[in-house]
Amino acid sequence: MKLTPDSKILIQGIAEPLAATYTARMTAYGTKVVAAVSAGHGGQTLDGIPVFDLVEQAIESVGAVDISIIFVPPYSALDAALEAIGAGIRQIILITGGIPPLDMVRLLRKAEATQTLIVGPSSSGIIVPGKVLLGTHETEFYSPGSVGLLSCCGNLTYEVAWEMTRAGYGQSIAVSIGSEPFVGSSVVEWLEILAGDKNTKVIVLVSHIGSNDEQAAAEYIVAALDKPVIVYFVGRLLPQEKILGPGNALGFWRQEAMHASPQAELAAEQTPENRKIAAFKQAKIPIAERPSQIPDLVKKALKKSG
Amino acid sequence: MDLLEYQAKELFREMGIPVLPSQRIDHSRDLKGLQIPYPVVLKSQVRAGGRGRAGGIRFAENTIDAIAAARTIFNLPILGEYPQVLLAEAKYDATREFYLAVTLDYELRRPVLLGSSQGGMNLEAVMELLQQVVVDQEFSSFYARHLTLKMGLQGALIQSVSTVVEKMYHLFVQNDLDGVEINPLGVSPTGELMALDGKITVNDAALRRHPALASLAAKMPQSDIAKETPTEIDPGKFLPIQNWLNRDGNIGILCNGTSLAMAMVDLVYNAGGKPRLCLIVGEEASGNLTPVSWREQLEQALERLTQNKNIKVLLVNILGNTAASQEVVAVIDEYLQRKVSEMPEHPQRMTRRVGTPSPKDPRTRIGDRRPEFLSQLPQFVVRLAGSELDKTQEPLAAMPVHWSDSLDDAVEQAISLAKAAAKSRSASSTKL
Repeated sequence: MKLTPDSKILIQGIAEPLAATYTARMTAYGTKVVAAVSAGHGGQTLDGIPVFDLVEQAIESVGAVDISIIFVPPYSALDAALEAIGAGIRQIILITGGIPPLDMVRLLRKAEATQTLIVGPSSSGIIVPGKVLLGTHETEFYSPGSVGLLSCCGNLTYEVAWEMTRAGYGQSIAVSIGSEPFVGSSVVEWLEILAGDKNTKVIVLVSHIGSNDEQAAAEYIVAALDKPVIVYFVGRLLPQEKILGPGNALGFWRQEAMHASPQAELAAEQTPENRKIAAFKQAKIPIAERPSQIPDLVKKALKKSG
Repeated sequence: MDLLEYQAKELFREMGIPVLPSQRIDHSRDLKGLQIPYPVVLKSQVRAGGRGRAGGIRFAENTIDAIAAARTIFNLPILGEYPQVLLAEAKYDATREFYLAVTLDYELRRPVLLGSSQGGMNLEAVMELLQQVVVDQEFSSFYARHLTLKMGLQGALIQSVSTVVEKMYHLFVQNDLDGVEINPLGVSPTGELMALDGKITVNDAALRRHPALASLAAKMPQSDIAKETPTEIDPGKFLPIQNWLNRDGNIGILCNGTSLAMAMVDLVYNAGGKPRLCLIVGEEASGNLTPVSWREQLEQALERLTQNKNIKVLLVNILGNTAASQEVVAVIDEYLQRKVSEMPEHPQRMTRRVGTPSPKDPRTRIGDRRPEFLSQLPQFVVRLAGSELDKTQEPLAAMPVHWSDSLDDAVEQAISLAKAAAKSRSASSTKL
């Protein structure tokens, strides 16, 4: 990710109600939103931001942009992202959630071929407290500091940030990689990025049972990361047979079921959450039981690393 | 969401995947007009697995046998679910059985083709021989042929089975499915193929762009969640509110965000409480909300949770900025006022006493003064967070609710109220 307070930002889907609200907040936070796109709204100006019908027209007018933030409805998100990639944008944040997985397959094939970084879907975006806001993070829970917050969750991220802020531990950056089973950039990719960020001294990872790459994250932390990491992992006490709804984050279960139905025959020790917890325990990575415990673990980690 | 077998087979038939002649049976008397020659198989149409072992699949040689078998199956719940329909199907003698599936691998972020040269009920044997081919780029037939070769098939079966796999893949992509499974795929002595059982899992996020699948979904038996919190409101109006249910619990949770819900369930359990039902409202649940529908969702969720007599305490944690928190408090206030005015035996408005408690005490217990008639509703515990709490504290202090700015404290409070409610209930039932 190439991100500075001067990064030039494009908003796709500015006419959506959510986009209008959050674009104003981003601008107020000092984010350089240089242009916006919503077909049919070209030629307008919203909060001082010029609006175009096409991404290509926006870039012709304002020059290259660094990051596009997408707010369009779920079934239009693939098209919007392909349009951004086609216009040469290589960093995309998908705020939109509920994008059908097969659309994500197509998008990620394209992203891999063009080396485009995709954050999300269903992401709150990225915040560098006090400097830049890209997305929908509620800024009042954050404060500047040296904790890198990496989250596979939505507003549980605020809960964790708030506990740290109240305890006096500000954040170097907070990244919401998206809470759906299918996300673009992974925990490991972001651990690599934060490993190279000199403002980040300790990393807090917030995750849930629906996410997929914990095992890889644990392995990466042990093998290659020289910054301390603290994990807070939710959904551990949701009994498998009690999960009834089609919540996005729980999609992983369905896959397990597909491979080994009937579900009931899965032995308890083989359940995904137990496998994940085991991976972190084995790697001796501290696991928080609740958000209020995180500041203490951060304190210990900072003391240890000197 | 899983489709029922007969619905899956309808889609197979449309796609040209071979299925047996079959007939849907809505009532055991429908068997008098059966179009399929005997012997037939009658199959319970429930979503649970293990139907055979549970007695949900029976053979019949004639009409009398068939009616008796159908009556038995209609009255047989499988994992708690009674069938609304049965499937009557011709009997088929297979010499070999395979397993085939198309699904998404979320780690690889690609569709995968799965196949085993051993199909049927013995899942261990299926899994042991399971082969996988990742559809890494645009699909083409060779991916399917590759799978059949990995399965160890030879001769004419290579082409015939890979044709079935290819059709499964098209079904998968055209309908945005999460999974298509055929188990078993029967092979006759002459090499003819037949999908003897099938499972289709549709993707809920994609449902609205597949009206035919959406209408199938609308006809599905009610979920346990819908039974627990009946509502007059069109379920299609909002995207699924997060659903989670524990039949032994008495604490209702209302929050905005799936992960936040998981965190709260973990916290309540860890502190010795029992959550019953968790509803999620807000942007995350819907992807695309206008302020109006946000308010409506909140009201709907409050209604559903407070109508549930099993919920003694309602723990509310809506994390947002100050303006959002203020709105949540206002909605709860209006809701409680309305409830009180709607109660026929107490037509007077709730009296409000403002001010006295110190807003600095995070555990102000206004609820102790709650009017008697509010006891028909669960007790409210509201958690608030943010940097400008005074704006929300003042109106809350005048309401018959408990509140805290600490999540741990709010959870603790909810649990102690729930335990007290359970105790007083068992005490009053002893008196009776």
